[in-house]
Amino acid sequence: MEKEKHLLELCNVSVGFPQKGKKMNPVTRGVSFYVREGEALGIVGESGSGKSVSMLACVGLLGGGGRVLEGNIRFLNGEDYIILNTMTQKELEAVRGDDIAMIFQEPMTSLNPVMTIGRQVEEMLLLHGDCPKEERKKRVLAMLSEVGLPDPQEIYGKYPHQLSGGMRQRAMIAMAMILRPKLLIADEPTTALDVTIQAKILELLKKFQKEYGTTIILISHDLGVIRSVCSRAVVMCGGKVVEQGDVGTLFEQPQMDYTKRLLAAALGKGSVLKKEPAVCRGEAIVCVRDYSVFYEEKLDGKKRKREVVKKVSFDLCAGETVGVVGESGCGKSTLAKALAGLNPLTSGSADISCENPQMVFQDPYGSLNPAKTIGWLMTEPLRLHHVGTKEEQRAAVCEMLEKVGLGREYYGRCPKTLSGGQRQRVAIAMAIMLKRPFLLLDEPVSALDVTVQEQILILLVKLQKEFGLTYLFISHDMNVIHRICDRVFVMYQGEIVESGDVDEVFRNPVHPYTKKLLGARL
Amino acid sequence: MKQGRGQSNTKNWNMVIGIALVSVVLLFVVVGLFWTPYEPTAMSAALKNKPPSLLHPFGTDYMGRDILSRVMDGAGRTFLISIVTVAIGLTAGVLVGAFTGYYGGIVDEILMRLNDTLTSFPSILLAIVFVSLIGTGEYNIIAVLGVVFIPSFARVVRSEYIVQKELDYVRNARLLGAGNLRIMFVHILPNTRPILLSTITIGLNNAILAEAGMSYLSLGVQPPNASLGSMLSEAQTYLLSAPWFALAPGLMIVFTVLGFSMISENIGKKNG
Repeated sequence: MEKEKHLLELCNVSVGFPQKGKKMNPVTRGVSFYVREGEALGIVGESGSGKSVSMLACVGLLGGGGRVLEGNIRFLNGEDYIILNTMTQKELEAVRGDDIAMIFQEPMTSLNPVMTIGRQVEEMLLLHGDCPKEERKKRVLAMLSEVGLPDPQEIYGKYPHQLSGGMRQRAMIAMAMILRPKLLIADEPTTALDVTIQAKILELLKKFQKEYGTTIILISHDLGVIRSVCSRAVVMCGGKVVEQGDVGTLFEQPQMDYTKRLLAAALGKGSVLKKEPAVCRGEAIVCVRDYSVFYEEKLDGKKRKREVVKKVSFDLCAGETVGVVGESGCGKSTLAKALAGLNPLTSGSADISCENPQMVFQDPYGSLNPAKTIGWLMTEPLRLHHVGTKEEQRAAVCEMLEKVGLGREYYGRCPKTLSGGQRQRVAIAMAIMLKRPFLLLDEPVSALDVTVQEQILILLVKLQKEFGLTYLFISHDMNVIHRICDRVFVMYQGEIVESGDVDEVFRNPVHPYTKKLLGARL
Repeated sequence: MKQGRGQSNTKNWNMVIGIALVSVVLLFVVVGLFWTPYEPTAMSAALKNKPPSLLHPFGTDYMGRDILSRVMDGAGRTFLISIVTVAIGLTAGVLVGAFTGYYGGIVDEILMRLNDTLTSFPSILLAIVFVSLIGTGEYNIIAVLGVVFIPSFARVVRSEYIVQKELDYVRNARLLGAGNLRIMFVHILPNTRPILLSTITIGLNNAILAEAGMSYLSLGVQPPNASLGSMLSEAQTYLLSAPWFALAPGLMIVFTVLGFSMISENIGKKNG
């Protein structure tokens, strides 16, 4: 029996990067998987699992001195295999674009900011094969309309910064697909996009797979994304392939512990973390009435106030967790920042029963001062408010470090040496050092891997019980909201369009936008 | 693999050579503070323009003074001038840069246009103009060069503050109740350290060159005191008949400048 031929095969591939003073440091070890012609393969894993590196190795774009240490990457070219990892860059250039195309997570940085969209897509035709000028433009326009960009004529002459994130990603796909490559590698193509746009981009990928028989390798940390596009999936962890198989079997009957954990955390199958719902004892801790938040904008040299949050009103009771959900630009973060007092341009009233409410930010890499130690950072709120003597402050910080699950040995460490999850623990600890009862959480888990997300959510619930905290939890992720919140506000274009009990809203969404958000949930 | 290892090696060598060069100069300076083989200003008619010998390793100059002693003494003076100069420029520059970068607005506009005006002239030319206004001499040179150096520091610090003030950790500090001054100098300032370090080393270089230049034009350190620049200036006439006269102070300047450049480049790389 003849062996089945696969479009791309990785056999025992290890990729390494040079490390100071040592030999090559392998980041993936013995990775083997294949993709059949015309199928969609998903590669799942957390950051640092080696999923992107493996695919970059296939197209020879490793960078940073990285290279394939052992193993073969074979690509079916006609009847025979070519070995990609032994080819020179020159030879690879012919394969890239023609046979293998790639799209990346951040469409803004993968497009050249000083070239028009049309020119960039056309560049592909210029570099590969000869095509007369008029036909090139025709093909580009056809491609642009094929990826669903409205008014291709106009888009053709626009620059990347004039397009929205979703449109940019469509332009990227147009660039990748114009040569009809056999294989399209999509590296987290929808991670930077809002959920409703995400669904449309995935539809587009599916369309190409169906119509042109394009083989797709989709790299994502989001199992929902993988499930909606791919028929088979590879689970990677710590540079190794943990499990692979059909998406159906893999997701229904995962064999390995890691896959099970990933699934539990990601697919919203995770248990609802809040067991007993908070009972509203009548007294509101936060009382917001007709609250508007403005941004100052410069338009044609004139300063103008733009209303970002439009007359919202709500109450928060002590001890409850209220989610605010919506897409980027809907004003949810602006609302949180204004409530924290970071934006003075407001109207209406917001009565918060405690002084300076604290906030936890999305990006734990930016919210901790890199020049200070953890101990110094956590002592800062106490120092600023003259709480206790030096010894008492130190003791309080050490106690808090234990409470957030880090331990006192972290006192003298620098933020640089901590992982994202650990940093977020420190940020949370800093925010509750002053024991204020109200805490604003601005996408506190969005920048973290799913398993780490899980731990942070558990920590938040634990701390809430212990200190009787009230959370305003801002997120774009419906699953997370569902798991941790008592009530939810849905924000759309600066207004709260729907609010109510989480279970109730999830079961019977009323507003069309809420339905759309829930429908996009995979 | 080879490439990667090679890179890290050359980096380290740069640092080692840089530190070695600067240490040689520092050794001369430190010893010169306490002891020199001869009195740096002691003249002797019998010893005029003698080539290097055992008694006078670097030879003697046109007034019969021991060049080694004068280099040790003069390098110290040059060092002192450049360090104080950089300190003045750094302090004022950090203050100006921090306030303009942090607050922005009209004060930023005014101070930065002033800054632009200062930087639009070659600094040496500017220094000469100032010196002609307030007179020559060691202390005047320090004051003048210090002022001339402010813009370069202010600009670096300002751009760093503009970036840093938008970061979440600054927002966080504000939420905790930290005031503007505390945010500026306790929270943000330590984060400008890497970029300041490389600017300081480059600044020291420029200050040494500027001092040498000013003294060479006899606007700086006045005879009979020695500085590296004034020695070069005196040696100019004897370049052909007594080349060793220029050699010692010249080498000293080259060592220092090269050393500091190598160190600062390495600091920059490490942080970049």
